[in-house]
Amino acid sequence: MHEAKLCLSIVRMAEEVLAREHAAVVHRVELAIGELSGVAPEALEAAFPICASGTPVEGAALDWRLTPGRDLRLSSVEVG
Amino acid sequence: MCGTCGCGRPDASDGHAAHAHATQTRRVEVERSILAQNDRNAAHLRERLASQGIEAIGLLGGPGAGKTALLEATFARLGDAARHHAVVEGDCASDLDARRIAATGVRATQVATGGVCHLDAHLVDHALERLDLEDVSRLWIENVGNLVCPAPFACGESRRALLISTPEGDDKPTKYPASVAAVDLLVVSKADLLPHVPFDPDRCADAARRIAPDLPVLTVSAHTGAGMREWLRWVETGAL
Repeated sequence: MHEAKLCLSIVRMAEEVLAREHAAVVHRVELAIGELSGVAPEALEAAFPICASGTPVEGAALDWRLTPGRDLRLSSVEVG
Repeated sequence: MCGTCGCGRPDASDGHAAHAHATQTRRVEVERSILAQNDRNAAHLRERLASQGIEAIGLLGGPGAGKTALLEATFARLGDAARHHAVVEGDCASDLDARRIAATGVRATQVATGGVCHLDAHLVDHALERLDLEDVSRLWIENVGNLVCPAPFACGESRRALLISTPEGDDKPTKYPASVAAVDLLVVSKADLLPHVPFDPDRCADAARRIAPDLPVLTVSAHTGAGMREWLRWVETGAL
């Protein structure tokens, strides 16, 4: 159930990128999810739209790929 | 999904007036940990504790693994030296565990998370406002009983021990690899029950080392005292 909290972090980080890039909208965020990170990708997918709603990240697509190890990283943000 | 850019917004058949497209779309590399904020909070807390001469040890394990019982047995063995220890107890509800610790004479404060499944550095930092750390050199952070969620959230500990009790089964490391990967010691607790439960300590240790090849494993019984000397050595020195 901590995935919602992680999604709030993802949304905040994406908002920072948006502001830094002087962009209007976030199209996509891409995550690298460590197999040993203890995070369930499906739970992130479910929580992300709810956490993004009402923010400039609302409507952005969430892509993820599994990686070895424990890291949980925001790989990239696609803005426009 | 929008057919033009593939984003999650509805396809804008009005000529995509609703959101900007292709010409300006760009991919910005970030490559930052999503846990960066908590990691920073934990690092600050660790540094602050170190400046006060305090090292924090985290205890992880499922509900009923014997985390609080191990602390009670630890303090009983330490005797007078236990006054240099203090405990932050994490549970979803109640202050039962903090009261158990307080009954041993060791200072304790409870974080009742209200259902949240793990502690984090911010919660622990606030809990410490309620705890007198005068003369304390060892702070225990007993996480919420849970083999999944506490693993990624550092709480300012320098070291972590994971408890798996014999009635839980020797397959737990295989089933909960993230917790095994997040700790510095695996404690097989409730060793006194080994004659009564189908738990093979070697199988448990092998399973854990398939995830963390150098992980030390220690079998203890808070009830009989077996393994407690080695445990206390680890508590003091970080080595078995």
